[in-house]
Amino acid sequence: MHPSHTILFPLLGAVWLGCRTGMSRKGAGRFALVWALLSLLLACGSPGEEWLLPWMPDAGMNLSFRVDGLSRLFLVLTGFVVSFAIAASLRDERAGRGHHALVLVMQSALFGVFTARHFIPWFLCWEMTLIPSYLLIRLWGGAGAPKAALRFFIMTLGGSAFLLVGFLALQLSAGTMDFSELGKLAADKQLTAALAKTFAASGLSGHTLLSIIALAVFLGFAVKLPVVPFHAWLPAAYAEAPAPVTMLLTGLLSKMAVYGLLVIFLPVFSEVLPALAPLLGWLAAATVLLGALAALAQTDLKRILAYSSVNHLGYCALAIAAAAAMQGDRSALAAALSGTVLQAFNHGVIASTLFFGIGILESRGKGRRGLGDFGGLRARTPVFCGFFGLAVFASLGLPGLSGFIGEFLIFAGVFALTPAMAVVSILGLLLTAVFLLRMMRKVFWGPLKPSLADWPDLTGFERLLFGLATAMIAIPGLFPQVLLRFANPAIIELLDLLRPTP
Amino acid sequence: MLVLAALAMLGAAMAADRKSGKPFSAGVGIATFGILLAAAALLFAPPVAETGTPLLANDPLARIFKAVVLGLGLFSVWVPPARREIENPGEYYALVLFALTGLMLTVGSNHLLFLFVALELASLSLYLLAGFPRTPRAAEASLKYFLFGGVSAAFLLFGISLLYGVSHSATLSGVAQALAAGRPSLPGMTGLAMVLAGLGFKLAAVPFHYWAPDVYQGAPATTVAIVAAASKAVGLLVLVRVLQIGFPLLAGCAAWGEMAAGWSLWLAVLAAASMIAGNLLALAQTGVRRLLAYSAIANTGYLFVALAAAGPKSAGAALFYVVVYGLATLGALAVTADVERDRGDDRVCSFAGLIHRSPFQAVCLLVFLTSLAGVPPLAGFPGKFALFSNAMAESATAGKPGLVWLVGLAAILSAASLYYYLAVLKRVFARESITGGERGTMPPVHALAVALPAAALVVLGVFPALLLEPLTRALMDTLAGR
Amino acid sequence: MTPTWTISSAFAGALLVLLPPARMAGSARIIALAASLVGMIAAALSCLARLNHPDAPVWRFDAPWIPCMGIRFHLAADGLSLTLLLLTGLIAVAGVLFSWNVEKRPRAFFAWFLTIIGGVYGVFLSRDAFLLFVCYEIVILPKYMLIAIWGSTNREYGAMKLTMYSIGASALILIGLVAAYAAAGATSFDLLHLAGADYPAAMQAWAFPVLFLGFAVLAGMWPFHTWAPTGHVAAPTAASMLLAGVVMKLGAFGALCVAMPLFEQGLGLWKPLIAGLAVVGIVYGALTALAQKDLKFVIGYSSVSHMGFVLLGLAAANHWGLRGAVLQMISHGVIAGLLFGIAGRVVYERTRTRDLAALRGFDLWRSLPGAAVAFTLATAASMGLPGFSGFVAEISVIVGLWKVYPWLTVGVAIGIIITGAFSLRALQKTCFPARPPADAATAPPLPPLTWPEISAIGLLLAVSLAIGIYPKPWVVLIDDGLRSPLFQSILPLP
Repeated sequence: MHPSHTILFPLLGAVWLGCRTGMSRKGAGRFALVWALLSLLLACGSPGEEWLLPWMPDAGMNLSFRVDGLSRLFLVLTGFVVSFAIAASLRDERAGRGHHALVLVMQSALFGVFTARHFIPWFLCWEMTLIPSYLLIRLWGGAGAPKAALRFFIMTLGGSAFLLVGFLALQLSAGTMDFSELGKLAADKQLTAALAKTFAASGLSGHTLLSIIALAVFLGFAVKLPVVPFHAWLPAAYAEAPAPVTMLLTGLLSKMAVYGLLVIFLPVFSEVLPALAPLLGWLAAATVLLGALAALAQTDLKRILAYSSVNHLGYCALAIAAAAAMQGDRSALAAALSGTVLQAFNHGVIASTLFFGIGILESRGKGRRGLGDFGGLRARTPVFCGFFGLAVFASLGLPGLSGFIGEFLIFAGVFALTPAMAVVSILGLLLTAVFLLRMMRKVFWGPLKPSLADWPDLTGFERLLFGLATAMIAIPGLFPQVLLRFANPAIIELLDLLRPTP
Repeated sequence: MLVLAALAMLGAAMAADRKSGKPFSAGVGIATFGILLAAAALLFAPPVAETGTPLLANDPLARIFKAVVLGLGLFSVWVPPARREIENPGEYYALVLFALTGLMLTVGSNHLLFLFVALELASLSLYLLAGFPRTPRAAEASLKYFLFGGVSAAFLLFGISLLYGVSHSATLSGVAQALAAGRPSLPGMTGLAMVLAGLGFKLAAVPFHYWAPDVYQGAPATTVAIVAAASKAVGLLVLVRVLQIGFPLLAGCAAWGEMAAGWSLWLAVLAAASMIAGNLLALAQTGVRRLLAYSAIANTGYLFVALAAAGPKSAGAALFYVVVYGLATLGALAVTADVERDRGDDRVCSFAGLIHRSPFQAVCLLVFLTSLAGVPPLAGFPGKFALFSNAMAESATAGKPGLVWLVGLAAILSAASLYYYLAVLKRVFARESITGGERGTMPPVHALAVALPAAALVVLGVFPALLLEPLTRALMDTLAGR
Repeated sequence: MTPTWTISSAFAGALLVLLPPARMAGSARIIALAASLVGMIAAALSCLARLNHPDAPVWRFDAPWIPCMGIRFHLAADGLSLTLLLLTGLIAVAGVLFSWNVEKRPRAFFAWFLTIIGGVYGVFLSRDAFLLFVCYEIVILPKYMLIAIWGSTNREYGAMKLTMYSIGASALILIGLVAAYAAAGATSFDLLHLAGADYPAAMQAWAFPVLFLGFAVLAGMWPFHTWAPTGHVAAPTAASMLLAGVVMKLGAFGALCVAMPLFEQGLGLWKPLIAGLAVVGIVYGALTALAQKDLKFVIGYSSVSHMGFVLLGLAAANHWGLRGAVLQMISHGVIAGLLFGIAGRVVYERTRTRDLAALRGFDLWRSLPGAAVAFTLATAASMGLPGFSGFVAEISVIVGLWKVYPWLTVGVAIGIIITGAFSLRALQKTCFPARPPADAATAPPLPPLTWPEISAIGLLLAVSLAIGIYPKPWVVLIDDGLRSPLFQSILPLP
């Protein structure tokens, strides 16, 4: 099986859905679900050979994709979350052929982002997610969806524009946009020299030039991750989008940014990162803190979780900023990087599960999702409470569940590399506990609201979904090697680039 | 000689005067026959280098232009004026033939006085032809034409006499030799200036152009066709001969940064004035005939641009362009005459919807006006292009700007002229027809008068070398021969 | 099939289309389609032939025309010309398909249409300056006729404005060409001869801007672009496609192949100004498009913005820049054709309105989903999203720009963002209204897409995707053209 099969498979499904004008809504949903599961299987099994399509060969630009361990991890995550999201959307009356087709297109794009080895295919897939996500938010979202979708689109596009322009400058001076080649150049300290030579007319030093480009590229990632202050699009988008779409947004789109920061940003700009690291670190810490503080102030359940996502992803940003500082020894670096990967994967699963739960609440509650709209559900829907509670605790970072290991490794690494920021971020952990537990209390404990008196518990299908998700949460929590086994080779490669063993 | 054949026909035409029945078509028919006879004589006459008398020359250029005059004259004859206007078609066509005879003689003349006589023969006939209908408008046209023409004839004669005084010779080559021997003298320059003035009138250059709009509007269509096409062509030929053969040394220079007094500079000034006045005034016209008159003035300006370059290739291009211009204008006049007959006047709005009433005429009008505007693939474009490029080539060497100021002005004004031609075409093609007005049938010769020039313009547009090469070569041979 | 089949099929088609009698006027469109298909296939086959035999000598046709002025009928088809020929062929076919339902005087319509196509083919193939200028001017009158007779909003004014700008610009080109001819010894109008001649620097300083401006007006350079939105909006669909898709490229082609090779020193002098004006055009066009209420005006101003990229690539005057400029010519040609086709034919014909606010009432996403999907993809292409042709072109231009004017890339990035904004605004107002209006259920159902429309949309989308995903053959062809001796002074061989 060739990587092309894996990447293009969901797209084929989307095209099929697009052409079959007579398909019923239910039929489309079932087809999409089956197709997504098949894609997941493909993702698990795809081999590591390279798929190369010449693009502009004389400029060294080719469409190259390769599946390594890290990619496989994220491919599996993608397959899982997409299937989960489609399954969650089956219940929605409005989600038909178009909805599922767009989700499948996004899946192809995501597969591509996580396996691309050159800037052009990577950017192609990165941008390919824009329109489907825009349409998904706008057309199937709530009352404020159009504005939210527009803001999402414009901000993401803006970040991407600077990312593009920055990388093209690299193409001009280094002659290549292949990630591994750029990484090697940076490891040999060649990149600043190349930039200085190409832009000799500007009079700026190579170091300054690379820093400008690094900031431009970071801007693109910062909007997507998101990093404060470029997160303005997120709360509205997450809140207005239907729950399955939010699952995709939080579970996958933000992981594109994490992956990009790990595999692209760190290696390529390693020459200037130590200087930029303090800025990045404080931005990350701000993200962690502000995310948690804002979540405390929300009354909309979706917005609480949205800011919670900002907070959790801030940890990834923190670890990356710490890695960027390039101080400390290899083991600390390894811890930070591994922690980032784990946190990304696990947050994807956990956040999707949480939004799935919110989606159930929203649909049963006929669109209400305020903090005060629910109460005492524990009595009415114990199974739901159990599953949801498990997910909340995972998000908190309870040991034994997957959320813990990622955060632990991150803090281990960050403490060793930049202690000051780690201290600030611990505050975030505390605040997270506060708002998440408050949410649990308000929704599930307390007196049962009369309007909820006749609520049924989870259906069999929903229990199945929750069960699978719980498994995905519990197993890595108890046996993190399951994930680390895949991630380690790539992390070691990254380490070699950043801190070659003497 | 060649022209005597035509003269003979005149007598027959006068005799045919009295016949009733279809005097009109008889007139046209006899005129046509006469012209064709002259053409045949021209074709089959032996290409003798020198004929008996020194008054007439039979050089290649003269031969080509005689053919040109006959051709243009033929088409002009086929442009029928409104029937009501002409009461004595026999006399009318006799006068037409007289005019053509005069023009033919002018083409061939080598002697300055003979040139004057022939030119006057043509002019007098044309004055009468202009006033032939008994309408006030025609009378005004004829009067103005006559007055201006008379004055310009006086200028011409006086200039010729000055030149004779200076050079003691009445042939152009004699004048050239005399001037080459001595220094340029004031009488010589004055004579030249007066000759230029006289010829400038003929060509409707500013400031000698005041007769043109009224004549174009008031005279019958056939007359205007001759004035616009054949007469103008001959006028230009005479000018070219006079300047190139007679006064090559007095040229001066009109190039930017190197201006020197001489006829080149005078022509440049006249060119600029004519182009500006002609184009700007044309923009304001509502009647197509007056529009064509101002277009004539503007086109004289373009011709003078080429002549101002004072080189043989430019002159050749000018000769080519004047033929092309003549064809286009007389074709446009033919269509205008038909519209006048149909709608009663020649205002632009009367042309509305012509494409529906008469697609053939509409398409031919498209050809004519597009050629006048200088848009390919019609002949006007290579004509104007040749004018401008040769003017530049022969004035700007080694990268000096040369006549670029004049050529630039010409190019821009020529582009702007598309506006008023499009104003007519837009009504022809894009507007709907207004109802009413009698629909007269089109005589078959009229169709020929429209179709043949259109076809010629298309052919010359794609293969301009067909006429440009022979003209240029003939001109250079003529110049070399002297 | 040689490349001349393109020109001859177009002109022959223009004449043949007039033949059917008035009762069978509808058959004119079939003749037109056949003629344009022949042209497109000829262009495609020639491209393939050149790709397969890259080292063969370039196809050439050279015959004397007006010897006394050194004018020859000289055609040549190198890779650059071939790609632009193919673009023209595609737009011709798509234009005929989108005009399938023209009812008013179809014979005349297709005759004018095919004349423009023939003239455009001629320009792209010419290697003699006179011939190029003839073909360049041939299209002026048919443009006027198409807009004035079959156009919509303000058609006579729009047509006259467009035509006067065109012919005024042509006057400037004429002056520049004649000056070059004279200074090069007045022996020949051949482009290589004119390009190879040595012109004094003082002359180049004024001759280059005159000549370049003449071409750049037709390419929509700011601030001489005002004819474009008015003209494109007034024109009927097929004419808008032609104008924005192909005729504007004539100006860029002329600037590239005539103005720049002739006066390289002049180019060096004026380059910075051109680059600056181009960036202004990109941003200005995008900003103005953002404020429009009429869908066609949005597309018209977006054309001005996109052509700014072409001019920017030309001003960079290095290999990447020129390559990007040509790619953008092709890409924008296809995309503009697609957008005008959808807006004009698919939407306007059915809804009879182009006002963005009024289109909201039609809820196209539900009533005409095919059009909505097509318009979405077209908008994505127009934004320069990767996967479509615009992306390839824009990155080439940006790389070229980094080399010479790095600070201008900021303006370009801003332009890209605003382009995304106005494209999205147009898309969402047209196809995806905020909330379906209360009377959505009572909105009249719209007739579905017809097969000519689907074919045309499919053809253009496929080409844009093909270039975006696999640009290699196009780049090879363009590089082949850029190796011509014409560009040697601008692009010194390594």
